[in-house]
Amino acid sequence: MLQRTTTEAPLAPPGRAGRRPWSPGRGNTLLLLPPLLLLFALFILPLGTVIVQSLAGPTPGLAQYAEVLTSRTSLSVLLYTFQVALLVTLGALVLSYPVAFVVSRLSGNLLHLCLAMILVPFWTSTVIRTYAWIVILQRRGVLNDLFLDLGLIERPLRLVSNGVGMQIAMVHIMLPFMILPILSTMRGIDQNLIRAASVMGANPLRQFLSVYLPLSLPGVSAGCILVFITSLGFYITPALLGGHRTMVAVLIEQQASRLLNWPLASALATILLLATCLLFIVYERTMRSAAGGRPAGEPA
Amino acid sequence: MTASAPWRVAGVGLAAFAGLVLIFLVLPTLVIVPMSFSSATFLSFPPPGFSLQWYEAFANSPDYRIAILNSIKIGIPAAFLATVFGTLAALALVRGSLPGKRLLSSMMLAPLILPQIVLAIGLYPVMVRLGIIGSYPAILLGHTVVCMPLVFITVAASLRSYAPTYELAAMTLGAKPWATFRFITFPMIRAGVVLGFIFAFTFSFDELILAIFLTSPATRTVPRLLWEHLNYQMTPVIAAATVVLLVITLSLLVAAALVNRFGPRKAGAPAR
Repeated sequence: MLQRTTTEAPLAPPGRAGRRPWSPGRGNTLLLLPPLLLLFALFILPLGTVIVQSLAGPTPGLAQYAEVLTSRTSLSVLLYTFQVALLVTLGALVLSYPVAFVVSRLSGNLLHLCLAMILVPFWTSTVIRTYAWIVILQRRGVLNDLFLDLGLIERPLRLVSNGVGMQIAMVHIMLPFMILPILSTMRGIDQNLIRAASVMGANPLRQFLSVYLPLSLPGVSAGCILVFITSLGFYITPALLGGHRTMVAVLIEQQASRLLNWPLASALATILLLATCLLFIVYERTMRSAAGGRPAGEPA
Repeated sequence: MTASAPWRVAGVGLAAFAGLVLIFLVLPTLVIVPMSFSSATFLSFPPPGFSLQWYEAFANSPDYRIAILNSIKIGIPAAFLATVFGTLAALALVRGSLPGKRLLSSMMLAPLILPQIVLAIGLYPVMVRLGIIGSYPAILLGHTVVCMPLVFITVAASLRSYAPTYELAAMTLGAKPWATFRFITFPMIRAGVVLGFIFAFTFSFDELILAIFLTSPATRTVPRLLWEHLNYQMTPVIAAATVVLLVITLSLLVAAALVNRFGPRKAGAPAR
């Protein structure tokens, strides 16, 4: 706030009443109105509807929430969802950090090739990537055929519908979401700091642990939160590759469109919404500290 | 970094690991390509023979033809609306001065981050009340709101890539706000706007969850049709359709890369 008033003061001197000179700041504010209206009508209002719906139902009040919290199935689904999201986040982090580290030191054509290998999967439809994993992991799939031909196994492995295949596919789909924030933080690290540590006699491991790793943590936490949030609400992959234990998004869809139990679906959706909002707030704070205290909408 | 032999070995190991992860990232999706040329009626690897029968079946399927048309009819207007609204939001929040910018910027990003299933559950009753559920406007508006953040991000980034002094100079010389936008701001952010449009269209073209709730069999998009086929029948036609979709996504991304590379933004961005 303080910063803003000081930078704008010389640009917009207080003119005579009624005829203030046009400043970019003043005129642009009105432009926000249409997007805000759109956001209200198609985002805030629907989310409000979900909350209202969760409280309506056959018995108005918190009955649906009581049902969610006392029913063994929905509780175990919620627990399983958090557990899978956590495992997927950890798996993606372990694979992503070295990739981001190596790619952040590249330049030229090799850098562009690696960025393409990260960005193309990022933009490829989740349906397509999940389908690829079905083709690979199913009973008569690529992996089983390959292993049978090589004589590594005698009978096809069961990889689909027991959660293993689903988690492998989710880690695969989430990798770019983890690599990109870590990569962008790493590219902002001042290499002179590492050199300074080296000059002072730190070996590469020590340089990494006490200088590089702490500086890369904002990107790590942003990536982790992003992957965790997305995994919590994952629908496509659990629906196609998941086993008898489903994730919460699948349960919401089942309750709403197959069992037509909209109040219960809305209560589950509200719980997911709350969890996501809390994590989103943490994410925003992390991103802000990663950007050096600069808020998301302010010029550099 | 000065490195002795063991550290250099560790470095090579690290690079090899990163290379393997990158291959793991790309390879699984490519498995579909040989499958789509298979002569077998079921999925088997390696394919017993070469055949274009599944592409033929795909090309002759009225379902896929209608779905692709639907995806385009929904994606282009949704991406256009998202571009207009997202650009307005970026102009107001990057260049404007108003309280609560931080909160408003976060709100603009929220539709992209929030699980789509929650938004779908909320949009369905709203669209039912408006009487447009299952029609083009329903899914079009749904896609507009989830695509707007993508445009907001790209346009805000290009606005931040140069100092606002250019606009100030124009206005000092007497340019009205519209003229300033038309001749100064828009040429500077054009690459960001086009990039945002391409990303928004790509996103809408691939989006499934809102499509499941908001479209009807007459307005269903390609991802929803694929989804229905995946749940009921697993023939290699899906593989052929998937390869076609992959090629479409890939060409959109190449277009985006070209815009990013040859856009006028870099030439006119001396101030950072």
